[in-house]
Amino acid sequence: MIKSGEAKVLVIIPAYNEKDNIEQTLNDLKKNAPEYDYVVINDCSTDNTLMILKDMKAQFIDLPVNLGIGGGVQTGYIYALKNDYDIAIQMDGDGQHNASYLQALVQPIVNGEADVVVGSRYITKEGFQSSFFRRMGINFLSGLIKLCAGVKVCDVTSGFRAVNKKMIALFAKEYAQDYPEPEAIVLASQNGAKVLEVPVIMNERSGGASSIAGIKTIYYMIKVSLSIVLLRLSLGRKEKK
Amino acid sequence: MITSRLNLFLWIALIFYFSCIFYLVKKRSMALKYSLMWIFSGIVILLIIMFPNVFNHVMQIIGIVDASNGLFAICIFLFLVILLTLTAIISKMNNKIKTLTQNLGIVEKQIREMERK
Repeated sequence: MIKSGEAKVLVIIPAYNEKDNIEQTLNDLKKNAPEYDYVVINDCSTDNTLMILKDMKAQFIDLPVNLGIGGGVQTGYIYALKNDYDIAIQMDGDGQHNASYLQALVQPIVNGEADVVVGSRYITKEGFQSSFFRRMGINFLSGLIKLCAGVKVCDVTSGFRAVNKKMIALFAKEYAQDYPEPEAIVLASQNGAKVLEVPVIMNERSGGASSIAGIKTIYYMIKVSLSIVLLRLSLGRKEKK
Repeated sequence: MITSRLNLFLWIALIFYFSCIFYLVKKRSMALKYSLMWIFSGIVILLIIMFPNVFNHVMQIIGIVDASNGLFAICIFLFLVILLTLTAIISKMNNKIKTLTQNLGIVEKQIREMERK
């Protein structure tokens, strides 16, 4: 167990073409959670995200080639591992996640109640809830994860999550490259992690476009479903604690 | 059945095939390591045309009426093996590039910070 004041916390913010949102996200972070370190992963943005980060004198890692969200976030975990952080938090750079909830994500880990904490918009059903079809897809994936990994997580696609040191090491080693969020839950759970969901309120994105739209939705559902099943098969039974 | 005319043609094709592989390896356009699966495929075809009667007989036993169809089936099988190998190689390379990129990004950040001091 770690004492609240002593935990070294890193906020990982993956950013790809987030020129409209990144400044607001960082200001929110500095205002609401100034005690946490953060690092923005600029995943080879084609807009001027990099310029904004430089002008703000922000903490950032600039990837020389585009790796996709999974590879980007994993960079953050490798960075956290190398710099010996106790807790890492993932937070999107598109303004959907409020820094005021960071404490709520970290607390269960500090208390030793969970290894992975997922911020969920579907527990209290407040704030931005996303469209009907998207929720249907999320519910399906949620059911599939319940079936395969035996953990009940409602908001499986939420990229707002905190993990402890053990999971930082795991994710630094292994992390899906595209659309990694649901898979990461299965991976963590099969490695003996306790996954907990806490309610958060999310905003509708203020600028830019969702990375999943149109025909990609179909690819997303197939890819994620298949990889959850394959992951479950390849990892075998849950590690006994 | 593999006729003597087909057999002659296959010999010519195979010689051409092996010369291409040899040329590419010699020019270092293809790593020896990755030429092995192509050479292996060539050897399988070589064995078939060296012993066409054995091949004809084996095809009859497993129920392929015309041995030339068996030749097609074997070629397709060899393609599949090569494609699977290639996919595995690509995945491995993809992983290596990813790791390199990630570490390059982290090191670049460290250098930036050192320069600022």
